[in-house]
Amino acid sequence: MSKERAFKVFAKPELQSSALVISWSQDAGKVGPKVTDYLNRKLEGREFAEINPIGFFPLGGVSVEDDVAQFPESKFYYCQEKGLVVFKSDIPGSEWYEFLNLVLDVAEDYCKAKEFYIIGGMVSPGAHTTPRVLLSVANSVATKGLLTQYDLITDMNYETPDGQRPTLSSFLLWIAKRRKIAGVSLWVPVPFYLISTEDPRAWKKVTEFLDRRFGLGIDFTDMDEEVVKQNNKIAQLRSQFPELDGYINRLESNLSLTVDESEKLVKGMEEFLGRY
Amino acid sequence: MGIRLYKKPKLDSPVLIACWPGIGNIGIIAVDTLRRMVGAEELGEIEPWDFFYPRKVIIKDGELKTLEFPISKFYFKKTTRRDLLFFIGEEQPSDGGRVYAEGTKAYRMANLVLDVALKFGCQRVYTSGAAVAPIHHTTRSRVWAVPNSDVLIDEVRSYENTVLMSDIEGRGGQGNITGLNGLLLGVAKKRGLEAICVMGEIPIYVHGFPIPYPKGSKSVLEVLSAALGIEIDMQGLDGLVEQSERDIDSVYERLPAEIKEQLDKLKYVTYARPAEPGPITEEDKKRILQEIDRLFKKESGGD
Repeated sequence: MSKERAFKVFAKPELQSSALVISWSQDAGKVGPKVTDYLNRKLEGREFAEINPIGFFPLGGVSVEDDVAQFPESKFYYCQEKGLVVFKSDIPGSEWYEFLNLVLDVAEDYCKAKEFYIIGGMVSPGAHTTPRVLLSVANSVATKGLLTQYDLITDMNYETPDGQRPTLSSFLLWIAKRRKIAGVSLWVPVPFYLISTEDPRAWKKVTEFLDRRFGLGIDFTDMDEEVVKQNNKIAQLRSQFPELDGYINRLESNLSLTVDESEKLVKGMEEFLGRY
Repeated sequence: MGIRLYKKPKLDSPVLIACWPGIGNIGIIAVDTLRRMVGAEELGEIEPWDFFYPRKVIIKDGELKTLEFPISKFYFKKTTRRDLLFFIGEEQPSDGGRVYAEGTKAYRMANLVLDVALKFGCQRVYTSGAAVAPIHHTTRSRVWAVPNSDVLIDEVRSYENTVLMSDIEGRGGQGNITGLNGLLLGVAKKRGLEAICVMGEIPIYVHGFPIPYPKGSKSVLEVLSAALGIEIDMQGLDGLVEQSERDIDSVYERLPAEIKEQLDKLKYVTYARPAEPGPITEEDKKRILQEIDRLFKKESGGD
């Protein structure tokens, strides 16, 4: 597919320099999509381009989620005043190398993006009351140096275990490294029983970093309310279901659960949070 | 997307022996053994990122150091008799996430392999794979050979322990070769190169297991070494064959007596001409295969 046919540009942002924030729609605790949606809402992000799904997504039909038919989207937004570009996308099913290069092409060619941050949640065995931390992986020593003044864990060591595959975020970081574009992936641990629901604490942890890094001046009142609301819901669950409360108590004491107990907690949490 | 050559040796009409992983890793074990035995040198590689999703990331002290991809590498060897080119792919590229290659990516890779072959003056290609057959694991694997031109049929017939598709009962010369080991034959034909795929037999009751079947590889290697006029020391491969047979025997011995009795009949099944009629009928054979199918579905469910 030619580059021109692979994406559509609706508007040309007038940015002298920008940073790109990337999220994938399928993410633990909905961290990535919630943060980028929040940024777009708070900073009045305007959609300006999208990547054509042909060749990247299986188009043999549509999936249905929460009673609604879905269709893959890969959209760019820009926030003129803050010099921020947001890319929110479903995870492509094929031609990853071409797709990820397109993302960087659009950001560089139309927004003069100089650095990018990919947001993601990762599974944590801990309790939801444990303070969230933010881990970073940079694609060069120089880029890592940009992060020293922030509250990040920057010394992560990791090798993909046998039978698993690297994330798309790692693939993008590697491509950017070859293209000499500064990139960072940000990972916030999400308690395993909130993976398929929501984790506002994790959203806030990531957004706080971006707020500081780019001087966005975000008022976090509404996000704080989300955190309180979810804390209240979980407190309610704990009082109504002593067995689940016992499991969470054990996690809070750094004790582990059996597979069966973990599954019960996940199921109970999904059902309860889904109801309210 | 491209090819990266590390060196540019002068080769005289080399023969290309290419292989990707498949059932029982029969082809890849044979070709890789041949490559090692002749001491072939690295020649180059096909850049992987357009074809494959990475398989490993290495992060150290908060910095992404590298990504690892499946390797698709060329080798060469100059010999007094004939020069050789090898291509060994660690994975088959596929558009739809399938194990065996198909679609645009497979076609592109096949053409890249042949680009390199033609660049060095190659006119003959061998690929290798597995032939799933109703044989017993204690019997010697035969080699099914498929040329991409009828002018090669007489040559193939001269190979020892080898059968053509038309020799196989009930096939009428028809069949399919799945994945790149087959596709390369077609692309070679399109580009005017002679090509032959040699497939070592693997017992029908073993092929579904994720284990290698070196006995099939040995038969392939015997055919390749004879065809290329290269003497190969089979000692290392013989060790693997013995070990594999012991491993399969240990599973075999645990099978119910009735099933084992049925499978034992495969020692006497003859399905390729020229051969005398076997001791079991077509109906028996059908029933055996159904039993085997049921048995291994049950086995895999139990694991």
